Amino acid sequence: MMPLFFSVLLAQATYYTPQEATELFNQANDAYYKQDYATAQKTYLKLVEHGQSGADVLYNLGTAYLATGDLGPAVLYLERAAQRSRADDIEAHLSLARAKQLDQVVGALSDEPFLQRVANAFNPDLLAVVFLVTWWLGLGLAAFTHRRPSGQRLVFGLVTLGSLVLAVASGALLANHVYVSQTVREAVVQPEVLKVLKGPSDGSPVAFEVHAGLKVRVVEEDGKYLRLKLPNGLDGWAEKEGVETL
Amino acid sequence: MAKTGSALALCLLSAATAFADVEFYQTADRTKVGTEDTFGLTIVVGDAPEGAQLQFPTPDEFEVLSRSQSTQMSYQMGGGGAGVIKRLQRYNLVLRAHKVGTLTIPASVLTAAGKTWKTQPLKIEVSKGRVAPDPRAQQQQKHPSIDSLFPGFPNFEDEDKTAFPDFPEPDIPRSDSDLFLKASLDKTEAYVGEQVTLTLVIFSRVDLSSVDAVNMPKLEGFWSEDLDTPTQLAPEQRMVGGVPYRAYLLRRRALFPVKAGTLTINAAEADITTGFLFNGHRVHRKANTLTLKVKPLPSNANGPQDVNVGQWRLSAEASQTNIKLGEPIQVKVTLEGKGNLRNLSPPALNGPSSVKIYEPTTTDKLSISGGLLGGKRIQEYVVLASQTGDFTLPGLSLPFFNPETGKHEESKTDPIVLHVAPSTTGATAMGIPSATPSLGDAIHKNRLEATGLKSLRHTASFVTPAPPLWSRPFFIPLALTPLVALLSWGFVGMLRNVVAPNSPAAQKKAKTKAARAKLSAAQKLLKSGKTTDFYAEVERAVLSFLEAELASNVVGLTRPALDEKLAAFGANETVRAQILRVLDTCDMGRYAPGMGDEKSRERAIDDAAAALGGFSAK
Repeated sequence: MMPLFFSVLLAQATYYTPQEATELFNQANDAYYKQDYATAQKTYLKLVEHGQSGADVLYNLGTAYLATGDLGPAVLYLERAAQRSRADDIEAHLSLARAKQLDQVVGALSDEPFLQRVANAFNPDLLAVVFLVTWWLGLGLAAFTHRRPSGQRLVFGLVTLGSLVLAVASGALLANHVYVSQTVREAVVQPEVLKVLKGPSDGSPVAFEVHAGLKVRVVEEDGKYLRLKLPNGLDGWAEKEGVETL
Repeated sequence: MAKTGSALALCLLSAATAFADVEFYQTADRTKVGTEDTFGLTIVVGDAPEGAQLQFPTPDEFEVLSRSQSTQMSYQMGGGGAGVIKRLQRYNLVLRAHKVGTLTIPASVLTAAGKTWKTQPLKIEVSKGRVAPDPRAQQQQKHPSIDSLFPGFPNFEDEDKTAFPDFPEPDIPRSDSDLFLKASLDKTEAYVGEQVTLTLVIFSRVDLSSVDAVNMPKLEGFWSEDLDTPTQLAPEQRMVGGVPYRAYLLRRRALFPVKAGTLTINAAEADITTGFLFNGHRVHRKANTLTLKVKPLPSNANGPQDVNVGQWRLSAEASQTNIKLGEPIQVKVTLEGKGNLRNLSPPALNGPSSVKIYEPTTTDKLSISGGLLGGKRIQEYVVLASQTGDFTLPGLSLPFFNPETGKHEESKTDPIVLHVAPSTTGATAMGIPSATPSLGDAIHKNRLEATGLKSLRHTASFVTPAPPLWSRPFFIPLALTPLVALLSWGFVGMLRNVVAPNSPAAQKKAKTKAARAKLSAAQKLLKSGKTTDFYAEVERAVLSFLEAELASNVVGLTRPALDEKLAAFGANETVRAQILRVLDTCDMGRYAPGMGDEKSRERAIDDAAAALGGFSAK
C-alpha cells in the first residue's frame, strides 16, 4: 500500500494538471510582457522539466532567451520547438538568432545535409500510413491478379504496379527518416565561447573556437569529449558540458 | 649555442706583408652586462698574411646571436718612397651571456705559415637582468640621421612609414631566437576607457612563407576594436639587441579597459610556415603575456562623474530656424573626436512641451588617426512644433574625461531658437503625430516593419508529442504480414507440388494450368491467318480444362454424352450450353467458311474464356 501511495505522490509531483500548466504558462507570458525575462524563463523551464514541453512552451522559452541575448539556450529551445512543428514564428526567431550568432561557417553548402533535408521535408507519420496502405494493397492485388484469367489481368496488374511503386517510394523516404533520426545527432553550443580541441584530451591544442548558439553535428564520443562537425566539414573535440543535444 | 670556433680562411687580395706588421686584437663594447643584454665583440685583423686562418673564440658561457664582417683599406704615403696599402678586416659578433658571474671570452687565434698570433682574453662581468642600455643604440641616436642633414631626402628609416613605430625593442628569447612572436602594449598604465594599442609582431631571421593561423587571446576586461590586420606579410628591418631581424606586423587592436585593476592579456599564438615549396616547415610560436595597470577615473568635484573618455567635440545645427506650423525640421547633433565611439553616451536633445522631438536616427563613422581610434556620431532628430511662437532648444553638454590632460572637460553647444509662424492655412496650433513625420512631406506614414521579436504564443498544448508511427511496436509486424503471407502461400504451393506431385488435386491444377496455357497460345494465333490451327487450339484448351475439372477423358465424346457428364458433375444448364456452344464454334471454325475473320476469332476466344470462368465459378 505504501509504495503505491508514494508512487501516486511522485506522479503528482512530476506532472502538472492541465489547469496548473496553463496557469504557469500564462504567468510566464505575463512576466515576459513585463520584461521580467528571468522569471519568464524559469517558469517556462518548470513546464519543460515536468515533461510538458510542447512546441508552444519551447517556442516561448526560446523567445524569452532570445530577448535577453542568451543565444545558446535560445537556439536550443527554438530548434526543439521546430522539431515538433515547423511554423513561421519559430523559423523567424531562428533566423534572428542566427543573425546574432558570432560564427560564420565559411564554405558550408547548406545548414543541413541532403538526407536530413529530405527527412525534414516529409511528415513521418503520413509516410508510415501511405507505406502501409499501398504495401498491403499492392501485395494483396498481386495475389488476386495472379488468380484472375489472363484477359482480366491488365487493369489489376496496373493498379498493383502503381501501389507497389508508391509503397517502395514511401518506404524509401520512411527508411531515410529512420536512418537520419537514428544516426544524426545535433547539438547547440551553450557557453559564450567554446574551445574546440584537436583531440579528445585536456592537453590537446585548440583547433578553433565556436560561440553560443551555433548548431553542430555530434559524430563521435570519447570519454568526456564529443567530436563536433560543422556544416563545412571543420571538426574537433569539445567537452560534453559545452553543448546540449537536440 | 652557435659554433664560434670554426676556422675561417681569410682570402686577402693584398700582397703578403711582413709578419711583424700584423695587427690582431679583440675588444668588447662593454665589460659589464646583464644576462638579458647583448654586447658586441670586435676582432680586428690588420695586414694579415696570405692564407691566414682566423679561429674565433669559443666561449661556452656566451651565445653568439649574429656575426658580420667589414673590410677597410687605406693608403699611406711613405717618406719619399712608394706608399703602403693597409688592409683592416673587422669581425663583429653579437653575444649574450648565459649565466651570472665574471666570465671570460677566450683569445682569438690567427695562424699563417706555421706562425700563430693570439689576442688577449677578455673578462666580462655579468649580472642578472639588464644592466645598461645598449651603447650601440645610443651611438645610433647620437649620430644625426641622414634625413636631418638632407631635409627632403627620402628617409628609409622614417618612423611614420613603419607599420608599428611604437613597438619597443623586444628581448630575444633564448630558444627559437631565429623566429619569435612578440606582443606589446603602447602603455603600461591607462585610465578606464582610455585607448591602449595591442600590437602583435613576428621577428624573424629566416624566410617566412605564410602565417597559417593566429589565435588572439581572449581580451577579458576590454572593449576591443581592430585597427590593422594585414592580409600580406610585409617585412620591416629592425635591430633587436644589435641583431638584424625582419619584423612582420600580424595584428593591431585598440583596447579600451572597462574596469580598473591589473588586467592580464594572455599570450597570442600563431602557426607559421617558413621556407618555400618543398623546404617549408610549419612551426608554432607563442607570444608573451602582457599586463596593464588600469586606473579608475578621478572623481569630478565640479560635476557629474563622466562615463565618456577621450577627446570629444559636440556640435548641433538645425536645418532651418524660421518655419511654418506643421513643417518638420531636422536637428543634427554631431559628436566627433578620439576615443571609443561605440561606447559613447551622447546627450539627448530636449525642448519645450510645444515642440515634439522624435527618436533620432544614429549614424556612426569610425576612423583611425595616428593609431588612435575615433570617429563621428551623427544623431538626426526630427523636430515638429505644435503651435506658433519662438521656442528654444537648450544647448547640449557632453562631459568627458580627457586621459591626455588627465582632466575632466566638457563640450557644449549653443541653444537653437526656432521661430514658428502660422501655417499656410492660417492655423496657429496643430495635433502632433506620434510617429516620426517625413521631412519632405508633412503627411507622414505609419511605418510598420517586420523586425524584432514576434509575439508569444498565448495558448499552449502541453501534450508531449507521441512517438512516430514507425517506432511503435505494431509497425514492423504490420509491414511484414502481407509479405510473409504471400511468401507462405507460394511456399505452401511449392511444397505441395514437391510432397504430392501426382495427387488428384495437383493433377487437376496442372491440367487447368495447361488448359489456360493453351488458351493463351490460341490468343497468340488470333491475328495470324491460320484459322484451323487457332480453332483447334481453342478446342484443345476447352477439352483439357474439362478433363482437369471432371478428372476423366472427354475427348471423343458426343455432345449429348459430354452434356450428360457435365450435368452429372453439377454444372448448371447455362454453363453447359456455353461450353457446348464454344465447341460447336470450334468445329465450325475449322470446317465452315466465313469463320476466319478476326472478329469471329475474337468472339470465339472470349466465349471460351467466359465458359471456363463460368465453369470454375459454378
